[in-house]
Amino acid sequence: MSLGQALATAMSGLRANQAALALVSSNVANSETPGYIKKSLIQTATTTADYGSSVRIAGVNRELDAFVQAQLRTEMSGAAYANIRSTFLSNLQGVYGNPDSTGTLEAAFNTLTTAIQALSTSPDSQSARIGVINAAQNIAQQLNQASQGVQALRNTAENGLASSVSTANNAMSQIAAINNQLLSGNQTDASTASLLDQRDQYINQLSQLMDIKVVTNGSNQVSVFTTSGVQLVGVEAAKLTFDAQGTVTPNTFWNADPTKSALGTLNIYFPHGGSMDLIATNSIRSGTIAGYIELRDKTLVQAQSQLDQLAASLSSTLSDQTVAGTAAPASTLPQQGFDVDLAGLQSGNVIHVSYKDNVTGRTHNLSIVRVDDPSVLPLPNSATNDPNDQVLGVDFSGGIGSVVTQLNAALGGANLQFSNPSGTTLRVLDDGAANQSDVLSASTTKTVTAANSGAPQFSLFTDGNVAYTGAIGANGSQQIGLAARITVNTGLLSDPAQLVAYAPGTASGDTTRPDFILSQLTNASMYYSPQTGVGTPSAPYKGTLLNYTQQFLSTQGNAADAAKQLADGQSVVLNTLQNKMNATSGVNMDDEMAHLLALQNAYSANARVMSAIKDMYTALLQSM
Amino acid sequence: MAIDGVGSRSSYIGTSILNLKSQLDDLNQQLATGKISSTYAGQGVNRGLAVGLRAQVSAFDAYADTATNINTRINVANLSLQGLVDLNTQVKTAANGSSIALGTNGQTAGQISAQSAFANAIELLNTRSGDRYLFSGRATDTPPTATADEILNGSADGTRAGLSQVITERKTADLGASGMGRLNMSGAGVSPITLAEDVAPSVFGLKLSAASSTLTGATVTGPAGSPPGISVNLNGVNPSEGDKLSITFKLPDGTSESVTLTATTKSPPQPGEFLIGATAANTTDNLQGALSGAVKTLANTSLVAASAVAASNGFFGSPPMRVDTSSLPLDSATGLVAGTPTNTISWYTGEVAQSATDSARGTAVGKIDQSITVQYGARANEDAFRVQLQNIAVYAAVTTSATDPYANGQITALSQRVALNLSPQQGVQTIQDIQADFAGAQTAMKAAGARQAQVKTMTQTMLDSIEGVSPEETATKILALQTSLSASYQTTAMLYQLSLAKFL
Repeated sequence: MSLGQALATAMSGLRANQAALALVSSNVANSETPGYIKKSLIQTATTTADYGSSVRIAGVNRELDAFVQAQLRTEMSGAAYANIRSTFLSNLQGVYGNPDSTGTLEAAFNTLTTAIQALSTSPDSQSARIGVINAAQNIAQQLNQASQGVQALRNTAENGLASSVSTANNAMSQIAAINNQLLSGNQTDASTASLLDQRDQYINQLSQLMDIKVVTNGSNQVSVFTTSGVQLVGVEAAKLTFDAQGTVTPNTFWNADPTKSALGTLNIYFPHGGSMDLIATNSIRSGTIAGYIELRDKTLVQAQSQLDQLAASLSSTLSDQTVAGTAAPASTLPQQGFDVDLAGLQSGNVIHVSYKDNVTGRTHNLSIVRVDDPSVLPLPNSATNDPNDQVLGVDFSGGIGSVVTQLNAALGGANLQFSNPSGTTLRVLDDGAANQSDVLSASTTKTVTAANSGAPQFSLFTDGNVAYTGAIGANGSQQIGLAARITVNTGLLSDPAQLVAYAPGTASGDTTRPDFILSQLTNASMYYSPQTGVGTPSAPYKGTLLNYTQQFLSTQGNAADAAKQLADGQSVVLNTLQNKMNATSGVNMDDEMAHLLALQNAYSANARVMSAIKDMYTALLQSM
Repeated sequence: MAIDGVGSRSSYIGTSILNLKSQLDDLNQQLATGKISSTYAGQGVNRGLAVGLRAQVSAFDAYADTATNINTRINVANLSLQGLVDLNTQVKTAANGSSIALGTNGQTAGQISAQSAFANAIELLNTRSGDRYLFSGRATDTPPTATADEILNGSADGTRAGLSQVITERKTADLGASGMGRLNMSGAGVSPITLAEDVAPSVFGLKLSAASSTLTGATVTGPAGSPPGISVNLNGVNPSEGDKLSITFKLPDGTSESVTLTATTKSPPQPGEFLIGATAANTTDNLQGALSGAVKTLANTSLVAASAVAASNGFFGSPPMRVDTSSLPLDSATGLVAGTPTNTISWYTGEVAQSATDSARGTAVGKIDQSITVQYGARANEDAFRVQLQNIAVYAAVTTSATDPYANGQITALSQRVALNLSPQQGVQTIQDIQADFAGAQTAMKAAGARQAQVKTMTQTMLDSIEGVSPEETATKILALQTSLSASYQTTAMLYQLSLAKFL
């Protein structure tokens, strides 16, 4: 009976129309839903009886462009990385202040030199002295604040890592859960499609946090790997842990050795046992997490070391006194050399010995650094900023006898002979008649702590309550974090006259000390550590304090500017891709409406067929 | 970040609009502040240069402050110097031409005016610019001199001697007990006549410097021996009329004076003459009497004045020198001793030179440019001030008894010396020399200031080009953005209108 068949076919048409209509309405409703992929009906014609075919609804199709989606995910992690860097660096710019205002390091420095200049003009004026102290306090506070700002940003990065990790864990476990729900088979129904939409959303979330690679198998299961190959999600999700530390100071660093690390590290625990440190293995290379790690352990550490270097140079240029040695007495002939006085030589202070190796004709510059903690020995050559010296750390905790022994052991091969003729005198002699070596000069550079030693040098700035001597201890160099601790000598605060009185009985109009300070601040040229990112280990930057400030502020400004441009560029790429994704896989309202029209027509046509069948049945029945 | 999921039409447009909006905000801020950015990052590639330029501008301001400060000080110091020059002229005029009539206090009108001149000179040297004493060397918080009253009259409690006491003591030491200027002379009826210093060595009294004679047949020897002496022997021969005996004395202030006696037959002989007697022995007696009188007159006039000048010179030395009475009484003292802070007023209280090369000018040095310094220090004990002070002071301190028969001679001798010493001396620093130094410093500052003002303008212009924005340009950009933004809004709105849903 073909009328019945026609009726059934028309019915199937109506069903298909309704199903398609349902999808249209769902597409329209979700047109603005994040992650919603346009759905379409999969319908096929099925042969029924001998003639004709009816419609079968095979499933729901997600109109996804997998290529654009993969590209989008890559760019997402890149954009997240660039964005976090740009955000932090522009916040860091805030730490350095508005260049035109008074709250900047350079303004504080300029105020200090102006105040010293005024003091040099009116050394007897109490107000000029107070002016210098205020300006010095200002620059110390400026350094403290900048240092705090940098550490606050590091702290934010640390906390950011913690929250990124919990977001990542959530996304990973959701992906695994959806994987499980889809395990029942490779279905194409609406719920499967919506689960796929959800899973893609979680993967997108994860791709913003780190650089990932997604592998989909035939049965709708995805495995997620980092691009470095660590599996994050398979059948089950791995778990990330991050032990965020509450205290972030200039002296806290991440270390691959967990016993030495003072900051949180990122571990991954695999579902079937085993774990690895993702920071130590450098497994995450992009995305927010990589951005945070780089900021916390590199970029901001460098920013801190720039401030520390400024604080250290500012302190030591005013307090370090270099005293040349005296020629050794004639009684040592034929050996010749120099005597230097080690009294007042503090940890981190340096004895310079310059000698010529007559065999090779080369001149060597030795920097013998006083160390009180033997565990830091031997010192690397980078312990001093001078690129042309050879650094030798000597433990002074055993007294001068042990110092002489250590020096002779280390430098006997260089044909130098050290001795201690009396008291605190260190004598360095060449090899005499053999004439393999000649001592060219010897001197000491000491930190002058007393204000009235008779030398214009003195500790205008101190490290908390102790003098800054550049000491190297078990916790690293005293320079680390100095910017956070630098302060104006408390002795000076209680007695501003120390700015002028460099010896007992100095006249109040004596400009010796103010002139010295001014010349050190404006003219003295020195080396700066390549760790600051200014200069390189083989050619460290050399210049005045202002030159250096100029350099690092410029470097930071440049970095922030470049990071912003990169982030802007990434954002354009991402937008374009997102747009493309929306165009290919998103809902197009016009399409839907046109489709709706077609469906309406098809529905009424189907209904028309049914009505015709009904008419035919009626005619048939009436004819009987 | 990309706007995700606000529909295909909205995301791209939305982001672009946000972008435009934030640009508009930036431009608004630029227009309001006149600055291109509030961070180093936003200043562009020249941000490092800007740091240097700002430091330069700040340094120029500091130099300008210094120059203003120093200029004020030099101007104040110059007023003092000009005042001192005027006082010098005033006292010199008074000493040159004033009357020798003594007032009730034993001083002439000229001397009384010298007293106020001295007080003025001390006041001028104690001038301050702000809190700073300008003539104390580096001890800018210490007045450079004691008060005028203390210098002249000693401390109020009498324990420390002033100039008057030092002059009186020296006068006694120079005159000696006999009032002969520490010279001993043979008595009447003794031949040959001898005239000798009382003791050697001694810094006091008249010093025999030379003797010559045209006395016929006479033998004049000396000055010779120790203590030095002169002998005159007529050898029994009467000199002829007009024959002369001349003896030159050296006075404590370094001047020399001669006594010349001429043989005459006119009785009574005038001052500077001696009567030729009937016999050579009579003549010897006459000569002895005339010589004794002449020496006494010299001692009580020129010597007294020279003694005062020498005493003042010693008192204004460093340390102040006075008669040493540690072993001998005043009238037979032989040497000078440094006054101690407990027994003598130290007139200069400022900073003393640390070494021979420590110049007074170098005690105040101002940095007025990267490598230019000016020196403008001064010490009240510089020669120019000291010479002037000690001569005005001696004129002001000496008193003369109206009943003294030698009073007129003393005052005349003193006035002459003061007037001469207040005139510029060859090779001695004058106040004009100091004025010239200061003028040099001011010229240097003026030149540096003018140059800095010029460079500062250029620097500021360059700085503005880095950190500033042109309001016109910003306004134009804002206008363009506004247009673009409203067009975008319009287009977006139209795009949303264009939906098939509307037309069904």
